[in-house]
Amino acid sequence: MPAGNPLTKEDIEEAKKIRKAMADWNFIEKQPPRIKEALKYYIETGDMYVASRIANLTIEEFNEIRIKARIPNVA
Amino acid sequence: MLHEFAIADTCFLIDWARYRRRDILFKLFKTVFVPEAVLREVVSENTISWISRWLAKGGLALYTEDPSEIEEARKLVEKSRRIPHIIPVDLPEALCLIIGKRRNYIVLTENRGALMAVDFLEEVNNVTVWRSLEILVKAIEKEILSIDCNDPEKILKEYMNDTLHIFPRRDYNRVVRWMHELCQRRK
Repeated sequence: MPAGNPLTKEDIEEAKKIRKAMADWNFIEKQPPRIKEALKYYIETGDMYVASRIANLTIEEFNEIRIKARIPNVA
Repeated sequence: MLHEFAIADTCFLIDWARYRRRDILFKLFKTVFVPEAVLREVVSENTISWISRWLAKGGLALYTEDPSEIEEARKLVEKSRRIPHIIPVDLPEALCLIIGKRRNYIVLTENRGALMAVDFLEEVNNVTVWRSLEILVKAIEKEILSIDCNDPEKILKEYMNDTLHIFPRRDYNRVVRWMHELCQRRK
């Protein structure tokens, strides 16, 4: 299997675009403020650890909400 | 058995635990270490029961972080934040990278900061980092997973469906091309 290339700025932008496009924005807007902001932060950065801290949840709890919000983990 | 030891971060483990063929991990590694901090992030019955079962069987083992590892990981976090064009690494992933470096474990992560760190930070540039994609590829190479040559992408799609995880287009296409070639060679 040939080796992959290092992660580029284009990869990061592509991942952000996919998260934004696939997210269920109705679901996100209905969430309490902390969760809503954490989901938006996640869409922007893809950083689940910090997003879970913003939401005041464990990473797995946040991951469950990410899936309900239909935001893909692009990695 | 392909490798002896790996260390998994939380983002990897909670994703992987949702995958229908998650137990293949233990055909690739003798033991996957789980830092204590990672265990604290897990709450669902599905993930906890899978982790507990494999802790009991020895496929997973608890890793207690050493204060000097945490200190070195903090330095790595700071260094990653001094470089403007890279995604900074957070402490949990930095810790896995430092443990990977010191103990020669493969680091299992989906964190893009950690993936970038091995390309840009000399402290960890010898560390091997695998995402779920690399694990699936290794499992195919070692014939732990078999490709359906009528639908080679099925293996990747199963993982993506189970976890709502999308592989970057470039990597996905590269792996699919490789699987098609593998099928051609096996004909």
